[in-house]
Amino acid sequence: MGFIHLHAATAFSAHYGVSWPEEMASAAAADGADALACTDRDGLYGTVKHLRACMDAGIDPIVGVDLAVLDDGNAVTGRVVILARGHAGGAGYRALCRLISAAHAATSASRARTGKPVGVTMEQLAGYVCVEGEEEPVLTVLVGPQSDVGQAMRWRSYAVARTLFGRWRSLIPARALAVEVVTHLSAPGENLSLAHAVRMFRLADEMRVPAILTNAVRYVDEDGAATADVLDAARSLTSLSRLPDLQPNAQGWLKGTREMTALAREISSEAGYGASGAARMLADTAALADSCRIDPVADMGWKQPVVPEASVIGIEAEPLIELRQRCEAGITRRLRPRDSIAEMELRNRLEHELGIIERLGFASYFLTVAEVSAMITGMGVRAAARGSGASSLVNYLLGVSHVNPLDHDLIFERFLSRDRSTLPDIDIDVESAERHNVYHRIFERFGSERVTLMSMQNGYRARGAVRDAGMALGMAEAEIGAVAKQLWRFSARNFREALAEKPELREFSGQVEKNRQLDLLVDLTERLDRLPRHISMHPCGVILGDTSLLDRTPVQPSGLGLPMSQFDKHDMDPMGMLKLDVLGVRMQSAMAFAVREVVRVHSSREDVIAAGRHRAGPQTPDPEFIEADGRINLDAVPFDDEPTYELIRSTHTLGCFQIESPGQRELVGKMAPREFNDLIIDISLFRPGPMKSDMVRPFLEHRHGFSPEVYPHEALRPVLAETHGVTVFHEQVLRTLNVFTGCGLAKADELRRLLGNETAEPGVEEYFRSKAAARGYTPDTINKVWETLKAFGSFGFCKAHGAAFAVPTYQSAWLKAHHPAAFLAGIFEHDPGMYPRRLLVAEARRMGIPILPLDINRSGDTYRVERLDDGRLGIRLSLAGIYGLSAVELRRIAAGQPYDSLADLRARAKVSRPTLRRLARLGAFDSLSHQTGSGASRADLISYLDAAAAKPASRKYDPIPGQLALPLGDTELANLHHELPEPGLREKVRTELDLLSVDVSAHLMESYAPLLRSLGVTPAEALVDLRNGTEVLVAGIRVATQTPPMRGGRRVVFISLDDGTGCIDCTFFHEAQEKSGPLLFGTELLLVRGLTRRTGPRGISLQALEAWNLADTDSLPKPAAQRGMLVGSKRSG
Amino acid sequence: MGVFSEAIEVVCSPAGQPLRLIWGGHTYRVGADPVRWYERRNWWEEETRAERGHGAGLVDTEIWRVQARLNDRSELRTLDLSHHVRSDRWRLIRIHDALKDSA
Repeated sequence: MGFIHLHAATAFSAHYGVSWPEEMASAAAADGADALACTDRDGLYGTVKHLRACMDAGIDPIVGVDLAVLDDGNAVTGRVVILARGHAGGAGYRALCRLISAAHAATSASRARTGKPVGVTMEQLAGYVCVEGEEEPVLTVLVGPQSDVGQAMRWRSYAVARTLFGRWRSLIPARALAVEVVTHLSAPGENLSLAHAVRMFRLADEMRVPAILTNAVRYVDEDGAATADVLDAARSLTSLSRLPDLQPNAQGWLKGTREMTALAREISSEAGYGASGAARMLADTAALADSCRIDPVADMGWKQPVVPEASVIGIEAEPLIELRQRCEAGITRRLRPRDSIAEMELRNRLEHELGIIERLGFASYFLTVAEVSAMITGMGVRAAARGSGASSLVNYLLGVSHVNPLDHDLIFERFLSRDRSTLPDIDIDVESAERHNVYHRIFERFGSERVTLMSMQNGYRARGAVRDAGMALGMAEAEIGAVAKQLWRFSARNFREALAEKPELREFSGQVEKNRQLDLLVDLTERLDRLPRHISMHPCGVILGDTSLLDRTPVQPSGLGLPMSQFDKHDMDPMGMLKLDVLGVRMQSAMAFAVREVVRVHSSREDVIAAGRHRAGPQTPDPEFIEADGRINLDAVPFDDEPTYELIRSTHTLGCFQIESPGQRELVGKMAPREFNDLIIDISLFRPGPMKSDMVRPFLEHRHGFSPEVYPHEALRPVLAETHGVTVFHEQVLRTLNVFTGCGLAKADELRRLLGNETAEPGVEEYFRSKAAARGYTPDTINKVWETLKAFGSFGFCKAHGAAFAVPTYQSAWLKAHHPAAFLAGIFEHDPGMYPRRLLVAEARRMGIPILPLDINRSGDTYRVERLDDGRLGIRLSLAGIYGLSAVELRRIAAGQPYDSLADLRARAKVSRPTLRRLARLGAFDSLSHQTGSGASRADLISYLDAAAAKPASRKYDPIPGQLALPLGDTELANLHHELPEPGLREKVRTELDLLSVDVSAHLMESYAPLLRSLGVTPAEALVDLRNGTEVLVAGIRVATQTPPMRGGRRVVFISLDDGTGCIDCTFFHEAQEKSGPLLFGTELLLVRGLTRRTGPRGISLQALEAWNLADTDSLPKPAAQRGMLVGSKRSG
Repeated sequence: MGVFSEAIEVVCSPAGQPLRLIWGGHTYRVGADPVRWYERRNWWEEETRAERGHGAGLVDTEIWRVQARLNDRSELRTLDLSHHVRSDRWRLIRIHDALKDSA
């Protein structure tokens, strides 16, 4: 029989283990073992993956942990392995979970762990070994070479070792105790030498506990040892040469039965026990393994969904009856069926969904989600379901989602079907700024025994891998930093490949050829790739369960102060855990902010209606979505607003959700959306799959009538009509399968999931062909349809996702169209998009919305809409954006407004001198100075403050608390004399960029205007009037760089430039990338030569040919006059 | 103790245990119970490549400490041999009584 390893760490032991559970399990199975343990350090991080890997490999999983033992002063005395007993109705696993949570209690969540280390005292550990009602202990403790006992034995302190083991034996029942014997055959006297193992074996014999042979595994084969070395260095934040406790050698691998048996013989013979001793040790090891075999279902609740008890959500009735009642209430609230056919459709759909929910027993699940959703809305926080949850009418009626699935042909089976017993995902988007409050409320609402945050594994990516590999090699930090900066979005695994291919790495590639150490660096970087580094709070996952939750997952502190599960999203389904994704979406915060600003700056409901042009004419119905106090109920805004679609078609969509990227602006320009369904299609098309497979071009051609629509068969016309014959949505794949095979939508979704799966797809094909043939379709049609399914099925997009995404897209465009100042203020404040704030400021300027400068009395701690004297609405800059201004200062300044003098500001807001100077440089005192009648310039004030700064005002002039300063006005400012000229525009803009990262007074490019004129550069706004294929020079500030996946797999780089008149999207294909080299990434100001490409009626982009660094004047091409050509008019072939 | 490295020919038992050494044109017999261990190498200083899949022998070396003599009358000498597993080449890396001999 194969040897069973009972001590093995996987890669999920961060900075320790090297190999993935799948590699370990299949290696063990290949060696003939029928079980394998996973004992990750400090937790069950790899356990669920281990379970699946073992099931796939056909062996039994064993579950345990490698945990530090602490003394009473919280110092680590050593490490032991603890294994859960199996086939114990889960008692072993439950105890293990609770034990690990206890080991993490009161530890610090930060990565630089301070305070109590992760671990348990022996007494604590003893408290989990036995449980009431279980005769046998539920945990087994392996006291091995890393324990206090084992370390004493390493130094031949036999007496100490015996005393220490005596303590273990006095606290833990002998049946739960074993000695772990390990040798890595290191040099005599070293840790894990043969003699070390011999001493442990003898100790076991003397103490009459079993000796268990393991190999303290860290990697599946010898090759992993070098990786383990690098991980050890990374864990200790030092270089390999300086690491005092390197593993003794490379023997900590998953040795096979032959090697382990030989080790047993060697140890036993050295111990003087001969062959029988070896046989005894191997038999004891096998026996312990047998008692620890885990039944995934009975012990760990594999794939059995658990939801909160109905009583927690305040339900006493049968959950299904409650659910039905709430749906009825929803019909009254949200839907008014147009006619009896619509009514019948609605009823059928509702019964259909409720039937499936009943059958699966998921009524409580839906009620739980509704409860959370209602709780969030009740907090006054915007919430909307995203994802396939939008496919459900029940979700719509419960108020969880805001899209009526009947309006958009969304299929419930895509979300949940009777054949799928796993809990479906419902993701709820909330305002990002409120997310943490929402988490805390969920914990309060459901109780901390039923809730925990989900975690996520953070793996090595290229930059981090280079840094840690470089550190291990002892390279200078500056050198590593220079390399790391070069890396741009590719996985470390392909480092060497990237060196050969990417133009921006060319220089580095040359260095590698010269420098041996860099060669090693590349190898080690590739080794680290993807290995987990640490876990952290998942950005949105909350796990909800019943009171058994903490028996099913260990938890540890998160950065948020709330407990976090050691399981990640991949573990949820297998462990039957209900995970709610509560996503913080900045756009939701931005829109909520905008809505509040609209109420604030308008005096009445009528005022809002007039300002937003919500009633185009006398015939237009009253806009019901505006409440009596002028508050806009965004979720009630109808999806048919023409000005909104007009704005989208103009491609001036900067700031709008999902459609502001260069690629999307090009696509909306081409597609010209007219209705909500168009938005759904647009969002669904803008995905790697459709973009790569060239679905977009035929779709657009059919849509605009350039080429006739083609349907493989008339029967598919109703299915594919909305996308003009092109298969875009999962829902269409499902319907196509159903039409051709009659399999039903539930089965169709199962089939769809198999598409693209190499082993399963042939079965689907056979099924499809035979069923379709039986239904009388011709071989030709069947071929054509199958090819489409095969090609698109695996990466088509779920229409429900698209529909859910399209809601905030529409809402943001609606706000931009009707209340642009409030909308942009919200965007400035919450910064939801991909662009730097300064680009959105430029967009406001382009739209004619005044940007109001910083003002000590008018600027607050947020961006605000402000009514100008002429009635227009402008946006006042926020003090929060000032570089170096502390949050405390900000709060004090805002709390003390208004100020009548600098002295007043100093006295009450207690601003620091540097802050005062920065405020002056930004002109925040200009209006204050003006009021005093002083003729002094901003420069005068700055120079005064610089001089005065040397002598701080004496404290005796501070007002006594409660006493008000005399309203004398600002004598300080009034007495300033006008000597220095006002700073020039260029200087002001530079200051603004330095201190605010936003050019406020004018666009940065304005100062380049003379240079650009001499070069003959075309402004962005003029491009749209040029003919397709015109060669031009453009210039601007880089605002975005993207490398989306493209057809054919060749990389394309999109660089968007802003020149103050608009945004220019430049596409760099392979050749242009070669020509531009290092300029592609990093250079801020660019000059680009390229050809115009018309993308739609109002859309134009640039195919770049070459780029220059605009700041590097010498490198630029000659001015237009000297080149002897008229830039902008030359047609290129 | 002399530290150097020199190629040496080793005849092993089927279990991989050294039986005879051929060194400097002479054959030495290995005494009972040679000791074997694995010793770490500072591979990051000695190697130029450590790519994934480099395999065994990068991080450690198999070392045998043997006691060998030319014939029954000659003195036992303690020698450390390194065994490169992949190429099955042996090197003599230490002679423990070398100092005594030279003195």
